[in-house]
Amino acid sequence: MPHPRNQDGRTLRVLGIETSCDETAAALVERAPDGSGAIVSNVVMSQIEEHAAFGGVVPELAARAHVAVLDTLVAEALSQGNVALGDVDAIAATAGPGLIGGLIVGLMTGKALARAADKPLYAINHLEGHALTARLTDGVAFPYLMLLVSGGHTQLVLAKGVGKYRRWGTTIDDALGEAFDKTAKLLGLGYPGGPAVEAAARTGDPRRFAFPRPLRGNPGLDFSFSGLKTAVRQAAEALVPLADQDVADIVASFQAAIVDTLKERLSRAAARFRDECEAADPTLVVAGGVAANGAIRAMLTDFCAGEGFRFVAPQPALCTDNAAMIAWAGAERAALGLPPAEMTVAARSRWPLDETADALIGSGRRGAKA
Amino acid sequence: MLTLALDTASGACQACVFDGTGGTLEGLRREEIGRGHAERLMPVIDAALAEAGVSLDSIGRVAVTIGPGSFTGIRVGVATARGLALALGCEGVGVSCLEAIAADHAKNAPLMAVLDARRGEVYCQLFGAGDTWASRPAARAPGNAARLALEANATLTGPAAGLVAEAGAEALALIPMPEGPSIATIARLAAAMTPPFERPAPLYLRGADAKPQTGFALARAGAAT
Repeated sequence: MPHPRNQDGRTLRVLGIETSCDETAAALVERAPDGSGAIVSNVVMSQIEEHAAFGGVVPELAARAHVAVLDTLVAEALSQGNVALGDVDAIAATAGPGLIGGLIVGLMTGKALARAADKPLYAINHLEGHALTARLTDGVAFPYLMLLVSGGHTQLVLAKGVGKYRRWGTTIDDALGEAFDKTAKLLGLGYPGGPAVEAAARTGDPRRFAFPRPLRGNPGLDFSFSGLKTAVRQAAEALVPLADQDVADIVASFQAAIVDTLKERLSRAAARFRDECEAADPTLVVAGGVAANGAIRAMLTDFCAGEGFRFVAPQPALCTDNAAMIAWAGAERAALGLPPAEMTVAARSRWPLDETADALIGSGRRGAKA
Repeated sequence: MLTLALDTASGACQACVFDGTGGTLEGLRREEIGRGHAERLMPVIDAALAEAGVSLDSIGRVAVTIGPGSFTGIRVGVATARGLALALGCEGVGVSCLEAIAADHAKNAPLMAVLDARRGEVYCQLFGAGDTWASRPAARAPGNAARLALEANATLTGPAAGLVAEAGAEALALIPMPEGPSIATIARLAAAMTPPFERPAPLYLRGADAKPQTGFALARAGAAT
């Protein structure tokens, strides 16, 4: 099978598949020989309603929902782009990290499509999809700094090139999105917690509770949110039954603690970036569902202006899980002539983006989580 | 027309190519792997195609076992079959493992097909005893399945037939079938199906084992209780 690299002046067209958590997604993207990208179609079906009653994603329910709709979504992505499967250059499917049942559905669908259409398959690391999105949307050049804040991940990553990432910091316990979800659950604000907490915080007093700023002053770039979660619980339990204003003040104070914590970690990361990287146009890229939070986005905008960093925040639909980012990661790999996957490739629930980084959580038999 | 059949619902990973016109098995690969179906399935398909001497392009129908069985295993097969059918522009059809077990036996006498459902249960279904509620596939305690089989005076078969026999149905005839449904039978059943087809969908027979979460939220002032 010939490599689908586009150095011969041809535009690459890649079909992407994403099923690592609770969004089933398929998309078509194109990569021009000059490296610019375009989204041809981008179909996402969220499973939020399936999981809402459980207060979080139920892996088996997620896998069931993925297999029920994925082929329809792939057909829809092709149809919206008016493209036949034979006219794509490669298939890209998320192979990890994530919930294994869903990953298997997406990866097997990708294998079947690739085998039947005689196209190369790229088994993509979901985190690489997030990391490279800014190159699809804004053509950001390497190296750049990325803050990934989602329900499953909280990382500061240096992106040096396609497949070349250094994890500068990660959470040592809960992911940031998880902290939002658990706070929302505690206070009865519903699921998913991010939008609910943000809405409730608008009428709250962020100074009423002095919640901890975890790891503040710690020389590394790691994050911790479980202590903050406990502090929120203790403050809330002391006030039961909670008035609406109590809830608003708690979540406003919680959000303020998070904004402060992120800002402090980012200051250190920005300094390290200046020390270690030569970049004419230092850039911070944000990704993940938590990047949709208005207070965090406002802080990031101010922070970058103050630090002289370019701030790139893809539109919310491309910050949360989607298949366009997976297709794009496949296109970037194909363009470089990186080898496609074998048909025996396995899905991986754990798959660190930076294989050289030490495992801070999930260091059991299956290795580092992310 | 050629049917490609896949089965990843239990410990075996198997595929075959079946010619529905001549009723002949053209190529077959079966590996007893226990786990790791997602990694082995494509090579197993390739081996079956190679033995048949045909390419995927010549396949007119893709069949797959929909369970009951391992949830993950079922999804490996169903996702692959649906992906292949989409890419090849052909029909995808689902075959129940219990029906495939029963299809290998005489149709004129009551038969209970039994698979191990683990967690102290079996998946079972009664065939050839009329249309009763016991003729629906279900996960049951072995003792419960034994009573149903005794009432129908059914012959027991399938990999877990012994569990039902031991649970009070020792008196019934038992046809050992330790290897589970044959991939050739699965292909033959699928080749004989007539449209309209529904896309293969998993037959789980069990819920997702998740309970709605309540009682986590702290009490709110003025909230109705």
